Amino acid sequence: MFPRLLTAKSVAIFALFIIPLLLGGCAGPLSTLDPAGPAATAVAWLWWAMFAFSTVVLLAVVVLWLVAMRRDPDGVSEEAARRLQNRWIVGGGLILPLASVTVLLAFGIPVGHNMLPVAADGEDVLRIEVTGHQWWWEVEYPGKDIRLADELHIPVGVPVHVHVTSEDVIHSFWVPRLGGKLDAIPGRDNVLRLVADEPGTYRGQCAEFCGLNHAHMDFTLEAHSQEAFEAWLEEAHSDE
Amino acid sequence: MSDARTEEGGTLEQRFERVWSNLPGWGTLAAVNHTSLGLRFMVTGVVFFLIGGLLAMLVRTQLALPEQEIISADVYNQIFTMHGTVMMFLFAIPILEGLAIYMIPKFIGARDLVFPRITSLGYYCYLFGGLIIASSLVLGEAPDSGWFMYTPLSGSAYAPGPGSDFWLLGVTFVEISAMAAGIELTVSILRTRSNGMSLRRMPIFCWYILAMALMIVFGFPPLILASILLELERAVGMPFFDVAGGGDPVLWQHLFWLFGHPDVYIIFLPAAGIVSTLIPVFSQRPIVGYRWLVLAIIVTAFISFGLWVHHMFTIGIPKLAQSFFSVASMLVAVPTAIQIFAWLATLWTGRVIYSLPMLWIFGFLVVFVAGGLTGVMLALVPFNWQVHDTHFVVAHLHYVLVGGMLFPLIAGFYYWLPHWSGRMPSAALGRWGFWLTFIGFNVTFLLMHLTGLLGMPRRVYTYEAGLGWDWLNLLSSVGGFIMAAGVAMILLDIALHFRFGRPAPRNPWNADTLEWATDTPPGSYNFVSLPDVRTRHPLWEHPELPETIAAGEHGLARIDHGRRETYGSDAVTGKVREVIHLPSNSWLPLLAALSLAVVCIALLVRVYPVAALGAAGAMVFLLRWSWVNGAHPQAAPLKDNEPHQPPLHSRTCDGPGLWGMVVTLLANGTLYVSLIFGWLYLWTASPGWSVPEGQQIPLVPLIGSGVLLTLTVLFYHRVVERLRGRDATGLQGKLWGVSILGGAHVALLVWVQMSAALSPTELAHDALLLVMLIYLFIHGGLAVILSVLQAVRVRLGYINSALPYEPVVLRPFWVYTLGVFWVSFAVFILLPMAWGGA
Amino acid sequence: MLSPTHPFQLVLGLVIWSVWFVALYGGLSVGCAVAPPDPAAGALTWLNALLLLLTLATTLLLVHWTLRCWRGASEAGGGTVKRFLTWVASGVHLTAAGATLAVGLPVIVFPPCV
Repeated sequence: MFPRLLTAKSVAIFALFIIPLLLGGCAGPLSTLDPAGPAATAVAWLWWAMFAFSTVVLLAVVVLWLVAMRRDPDGVSEEAARRLQNRWIVGGGLILPLASVTVLLAFGIPVGHNMLPVAADGEDVLRIEVTGHQWWWEVEYPGKDIRLADELHIPVGVPVHVHVTSEDVIHSFWVPRLGGKLDAIPGRDNVLRLVADEPGTYRGQCAEFCGLNHAHMDFTLEAHSQEAFEAWLEEAHSDE
Repeated sequence: MSDARTEEGGTLEQRFERVWSNLPGWGTLAAVNHTSLGLRFMVTGVVFFLIGGLLAMLVRTQLALPEQEIISADVYNQIFTMHGTVMMFLFAIPILEGLAIYMIPKFIGARDLVFPRITSLGYYCYLFGGLIIASSLVLGEAPDSGWFMYTPLSGSAYAPGPGSDFWLLGVTFVEISAMAAGIELTVSILRTRSNGMSLRRMPIFCWYILAMALMIVFGFPPLILASILLELERAVGMPFFDVAGGGDPVLWQHLFWLFGHPDVYIIFLPAAGIVSTLIPVFSQRPIVGYRWLVLAIIVTAFISFGLWVHHMFTIGIPKLAQSFFSVASMLVAVPTAIQIFAWLATLWTGRVIYSLPMLWIFGFLVVFVAGGLTGVMLALVPFNWQVHDTHFVVAHLHYVLVGGMLFPLIAGFYYWLPHWSGRMPSAALGRWGFWLTFIGFNVTFLLMHLTGLLGMPRRVYTYEAGLGWDWLNLLSSVGGFIMAAGVAMILLDIALHFRFGRPAPRNPWNADTLEWATDTPPGSYNFVSLPDVRTRHPLWEHPELPETIAAGEHGLARIDHGRRETYGSDAVTGKVREVIHLPSNSWLPLLAALSLAVVCIALLVRVYPVAALGAAGAMVFLLRWSWVNGAHPQAAPLKDNEPHQPPLHSRTCDGPGLWGMVVTLLANGTLYVSLIFGWLYLWTASPGWSVPEGQQIPLVPLIGSGVLLTLTVLFYHRVVERLRGRDATGLQGKLWGVSILGGAHVALLVWVQMSAALSPTELAHDALLLVMLIYLFIHGGLAVILSVLQAVRVRLGYINSALPYEPVVLRPFWVYTLGVFWVSFAVFILLPMAWGGA
Repeated sequence: MLSPTHPFQLVLGLVIWSVWFVALYGGLSVGCAVAPPDPAAGALTWLNALLLLLTLATTLLLVHWTLRCWRGASEAGGGTVKRFLTWVASGVHLTAAGATLAVGLPVIVFPPCV
């Protein structure tokens, strides 16, 4: 009696999860599923592919389990049972995970490779230095004499190498719509490569728990068109 | 044991009960019996589960709506820190230890665990440590840096209150209990199985617990070391994790996750063991692929030690290094998949009986497989960089831990309820409990994946409205309360069943393993007589076993000697080699644990003289404990009529004490290797590492001290070899010689320490050297004290050519002391010289 | 040499794997601390080569042990504890060999120190 109920329930729960997604619930100022840069886009695609595949695997295992519980195994000889067992363990226990992992790595490793903070030959890279404090972000543009709090400005389409460190405890620098996060650790200089595809204002948030006001340690990153960025740079520089 | 007792009459059961039962009244606190203590562990664990669950409800209340101010940030930080701490350290690990402590002797056909007083010490350390940690909540001084306690946030500069100290001292105190369980479960499973229960006939549950126990032995020491170092940093100012002093906060993360990741599998493996035990019973056929499961267990136990950095993918270590851990993290899916398909195949080829435990097993499957799949996703570095430290991870870890541990545990509870109460669980209320829990859980956490993908970080006490998280959080909170209702239903069901449950027949589920051959509830001695086991499914092939065991038709059915006895057997073949006599009720574990609690509290309030007093007290009680052993009149004095085939274990040279010593040293060695890791790590990776000029430690006396130690150990080794050849001539004098020579080594070491030019509060380099020297001093000192005691015991006649047991047990400790001395010399003294010269 | 039927064989393969894993991660860290190769060189550096060599050598060693234990398993009589031990042991060695190869292979893709 309960297995039938169960399948209905699990399908319902899954539907509950999937439907809002399909209805475009993925947008949001901090949504990784609403990407605006190559790194975040690649990861969003990875997610959707992994999600689809995992759903299939999960449903398949659950259905197999339910069938296994309900079926009447009369007429399976010991010999047949043993062959079946080996086939299941080798097929499901070895081949399935190994094949899945291989495929996953085949797609995942190049994505990770492209995120490395290594400038290609002749590539123009903007360097920004960000220092985490309890509970704000200090932003500097080296050689430009610009010092900001909780806001970054970058040009569109140009790779930005954000050098992240901390003055006190560990923080984590994260602009979800552009790419992954990187920890700000005292004594260390970590480099995060970000590119914005479109002009706009993106929200960032401290992701590593850093004490009392961790929840409010957010910042904005504004991506300007190339010309607008030059103009901003000029203006900000003269303001100092 | 007094002889008068044994002359009283009564049935066999009554006579056994007189020898094995706990003391009456308050005397029950002196109990060392695994059945009593296992139950106490589990009940205490349930209480902490409820505390942790209450904290979770507070979290979900605060997060239900955006921008709420029900709970302040300060209190919220304490609450989520304590939720994680309580659930991991005070619920998940101890309750599984408790289950293993209760079950293992019954599964392997033994009467108790091999070190019963250790069981008791472990329980009290758990209880007192848990109370100390929990008291911080009541005092409003709970730790608030997260259950992972990352430095510098948990250090004295950013967490000046006692919160972090509560965590560090309390958790370390509780760890003693985990180590105790790890060591005694390992030795019990390897050395006290039924006659003939070879490794391939061992119930699969025992393989899981063996793996768990050994993982504790190797997994917990890094955290113990890290906690000691951080507490030293906070209390004394040794800058292990402080960049300004040449330390590195990342070292904490490495040590913490070196423990933290294996810990997940320490929790999962016993739960999987429950699944592997229940599925064949409810399919009424043997488990499929026993060998594959054993292989999967071993592989999981190892590979899970190679994953720790996947908690640290965002700290900026090289991508290549990350990819090693990424691949290893994915590989661990393979042994898990093997287990799942072995279970599937068992169900497929068996005729399944629907029952409440199977419902929970089904819930386990759905939730755990989902959690495993998101785990593989998280192992992919680029994806991890996005969702790390978001609610996606919160969802994932709850799927893995609740699905992989809580669901099988409840399945196991329902399955073994008749064992504890003699009554069967109900059907209706239990189903309600399951469905409420299952649905509530999924409503809470399935949606939370999306919350995380939409960018909600972890550990925020509130969030702005309009970020797309509002409805998700509200639904998660609703789900949380549904799950709480489910848990309440289960507790009600279990409480009611004790009164209204249908009385259980013998072996109510028609199980195959020996734990159902005891009475339900079991007598304190488990089995009146100990049967030979020639099959993996004793109760299926010999359904008459419960009766013949109770009738005393098998081994060790005599009790007139008044000793608590069980078989000691060969680790591989299970062939009986000796009769192990076990200690009876004892107050010493309670007293030792109380002294340690005094130490813990005194360190917490920083009254160091009291701490020293407490430590001295603990030392005295523990030495007294070691004194009442072997041929001591209260243990097993030499008698004319004692058994020789097989002999008592204290008359042999390879008893369980030796095994316990070696396993303890493995744990100790892991702690020491963690220290070396810290040293090498800071040398290569610390951003502000600095080495003072000149030779700080006087070399000549240090080498002299090492030479003395070497001579001592060689001497002791010769003494033991003679003794093993049953030659005890001049034994007492030789042991005094060993003690004096060893004492000289320690004295010289103290002198080295005094004259070393170290500034441990300024440089991490010097602080580590000091810790190393103290470590050597403690080992040398302890070895000398124990040798002195052995010499006295020779005088009293507890050690002689017929009783060679104890010096053999002590030998590995001396050898270990020698080993760490010269390794320390090489790594802490010679290597830097070479390095500096290069 | 340890006999294929020794119970320590149950863990030997993965102990070797663990030691190799420590050497791999430790070697990489020390290499990067002492003489970090130029990131522009990609994966074609002395450090990657060294780690790859270590990986292949360890894999070969483990395959060798797998075969030894497998032969031991076929020599032991059916239904004995020795047969069981050697079967599991050869599985452990084989798994360790596979894990070594899989975990080590990224050295042919990534530059070592960024």
